[in-house]
Amino acid sequence: MRKSLDEAINRVLSDERNVRAATEPFQREFPYERDEEAQVTRREFCNFLGLTSAALFLGAGGFAAKAAYDARQSETFGGREITGAESLTPNSSLNFNYPAERDSAILVRTPDGAYHAYGQKCTHLSCPVYYSRDHQRLECPCHEGAFDAATGNVLYGPPPRPLDTIEVEVRNGHVWAIGRKPATNEHAD
Amino acid sequence: MRRSRAGHTAVWQARLIMLVMINIAQLWILAATVDAALARHYAVLLPLVIASGICFLITLSIIKWWRPTSRRKTSTGYLRSPGK
Repeated sequence: MRKSLDEAINRVLSDERNVRAATEPFQREFPYERDEEAQVTRREFCNFLGLTSAALFLGAGGFAAKAAYDARQSETFGGREITGAESLTPNSSLNFNYPAERDSAILVRTPDGAYHAYGQKCTHLSCPVYYSRDHQRLECPCHEGAFDAATGNVLYGPPPRPLDTIEVEVRNGHVWAIGRKPATNEHAD
Repeated sequence: MRRSRAGHTAVWQARLIMLVMINIAQLWILAATVDAALARHYAVLLPLVIASGICFLITLSIIKWWRPTSRRKTSTGYLRSPGK
């Protein structure tokens, strides 16, 4: 039984061993054991799982720490004119950045002519939302969530809370962003 | 000896299965943490991190201490089953 098993193994490995014999001079300088390299022992796999466990723990801890740190930050917002907003036709939208250049936001002019602005990140997994003219709502293309264009509340889908609201004000015919209110889950429907 | 070998293998398999299950649980915890952070459910963040930490400690204990008896470490090295 053992002998036949050895023969079977030799048959499988013979090609590899012939290559080894032909490349013996190089094997001395570059001792590369391909058969052994391809194997992962149980001990190695256990250690790999241990490292993965550590990485997952650190990831969860890091993400929670970042969220807690961001929650403690008190931001002050200055006013900024939204260029091009005055020419926005009803039932359309415009992208802008507020309060910082890296914070993308969306200004919506609803069919009744009112301006509403929101942070553009979906509250589910941060995909950018867009304004759907046909449905007159903000939609997230990633997981099919939707938000009310007038309030930012969740209409349906996986988002757990409304969009962050950006306060807008019309001054002398120009639209200004004057503050950003992070939405909490309390306002969700 | 065969019996000892079978037990040895069973313990190794059990270790692997437990480690894989803990990893899957931790993956789920990480997904829940991301979800909670984005939803601003700050109250659940700490329990989730603690749960992940406990999983990590269990993983460490399995890797470090929960070994087959034939591989138990003594002052003179690892004990092996007779005949090896």
